[in-house]
Amino acid sequence: MTSSPDLIHELRAARPSAPAELRTRIRALATEPERTVRAPWAGWRFPVRRGLLVAVPAAAALALASAGVLGLARSDSPQAVGRDAAEKSTLQMATPQRMPNAGVNGGANPSPLGAADATTADQARTLAPTADNRAQKVGATLTVEVKDSDAVSRAAQSALDLTRTLGGFVVSSSVATGDEGSASITVRVPVDKVQDAIAGLSGLGRIVSQNVTIEDRQESIDAFVRRSRSVRSQIALVTARLESETLNADTRALLEARLKNLKLDLLGARRSLGTLRAEARMSTIQLTVVTPEAFGAVAPPSRIDRTIDEALNVLAWEGVVALGMLIVLAPFALVAGAVWLGRRLYRRHEEERLLAA
Amino acid sequence: MTIDAPRPHAATTPSFAAVAEELLDDVYGYLLYLTKNWAVAEDLTGETFEAAFKKWRRFDPGRGTPRAWLLAIARSTALDWFRADARRRRREERVGSAERRDDTDTFGEGFSAELAESLQSLSAGEREVVALRIVLDLDGEETARLLGISVTAVSTRLSRALSKLEERMRDHDVVA
Repeated sequence: MTSSPDLIHELRAARPSAPAELRTRIRALATEPERTVRAPWAGWRFPVRRGLLVAVPAAAALALASAGVLGLARSDSPQAVGRDAAEKSTLQMATPQRMPNAGVNGGANPSPLGAADATTADQARTLAPTADNRAQKVGATLTVEVKDSDAVSRAAQSALDLTRTLGGFVVSSSVATGDEGSASITVRVPVDKVQDAIAGLSGLGRIVSQNVTIEDRQESIDAFVRRSRSVRSQIALVTARLESETLNADTRALLEARLKNLKLDLLGARRSLGTLRAEARMSTIQLTVVTPEAFGAVAPPSRIDRTIDEALNVLAWEGVVALGMLIVLAPFALVAGAVWLGRRLYRRHEEERLLAA
Repeated sequence: MTIDAPRPHAATTPSFAAVAEELLDDVYGYLLYLTKNWAVAEDLTGETFEAAFKKWRRFDPGRGTPRAWLLAIARSTALDWFRADARRRRREERVGSAERRDDTDTFGEGFSAELAESLQSLSAGEREVVALRIVLDLDGEETARLLGISVTAVSTRLSRALSKLEERMRDHDVVA
């Protein structure tokens, strides 16, 4: 301070004292019983800062606790998790093993099934062709799991024996033994025996995936039969004309060329017909036998893992709800904050104006 | 004469009666400087202590001294009076000078005529900072917190007020 000490001294010396009358009044006020002034709860105000200091950790603790309790409660049913995992692995296994021709032809009727627990013959029968007189191409892909490498060998041998018993034959066979044994066998069996084949092969182990496709071939066969008849009748007509003696040399040459083409057509139609009928006679079954190690089966999660998994799910949902509430409330909070700030600035400005007088 | 406390409080908290007894002069002096009218200062002091008495339960010694708490209430009370007074003046201006109230300001006893007149020339804000820093001897930080401004602003305002006051006093001396 640069002001003279005299001024400061004078200001301090002139320090005002409250008049006696005022002092008496204040003393009287201070001696009033409290109950006459207000109720005990009157004037109580919620301590916002302290409340937030308690409320925020309490809300976090509540969220964690509820997630923990719900996670613990939901972890009681491991089947749910196991089933999900099984369904996922079934889809993963079934998709790449679908038969290549599935769905290509117009009459195709692919019916992929992932019935991991369909092990009975009755269930297998539902997968087999049902039409009695129609020609159909039936294909199946099976993956079964056996306990170890020795069981893989036994299952492969059983599959080969079953194929022969049913009048079929082996297209290819590959058996690998060792720590992660596996076998891959492709067999063809008569269509009327496919139900028995699927049932028998399914019984070799625990079914991991199963995929049966049925493609109708009757329309194609009927078309080739009609084509053959037409070509044969055309051949008969051309042959009859060639036997006529009135033909000149040019016409005869043309008819002979046409006859040659018609015979080639007939040959092609007969071959196609033969192929289609062969497909309809024999079904192809691809069997894969694996051990749990080779299949890469995941051990069912422990209770702690399931609890943590479920708790994290609950926490994620709580986070989503909190975020949603934040998004909804944020505009209101911003408006309220702006109003509060504006009011505060206005009051400050007003105070300065009042005290400037 | 002893004054009983209105209610038992924490062991470290003085009784309201003791606080009132000790700080009555401070509150009155502050309000007198702010309003430059002893009658108004008396009324506002009464209002301040009534409000403080009602709020005494909420007083937290951990957040400040009783003097700072009481002065904050006094300031709020005074600002309310300033607002009401401004409204009254505007109303009177609209109605006309005939109904104008006699509101001659006076500091009352204890002030020399020169000091009183010099103080009259200061703004309320300047008198306020003089009262707090010089008369009541609050430190800069406490004053800044009470006024809601920075410590630097307090120093600047005080320096300006004292300079102005000294100049006025010097003018009086020259005239005398």
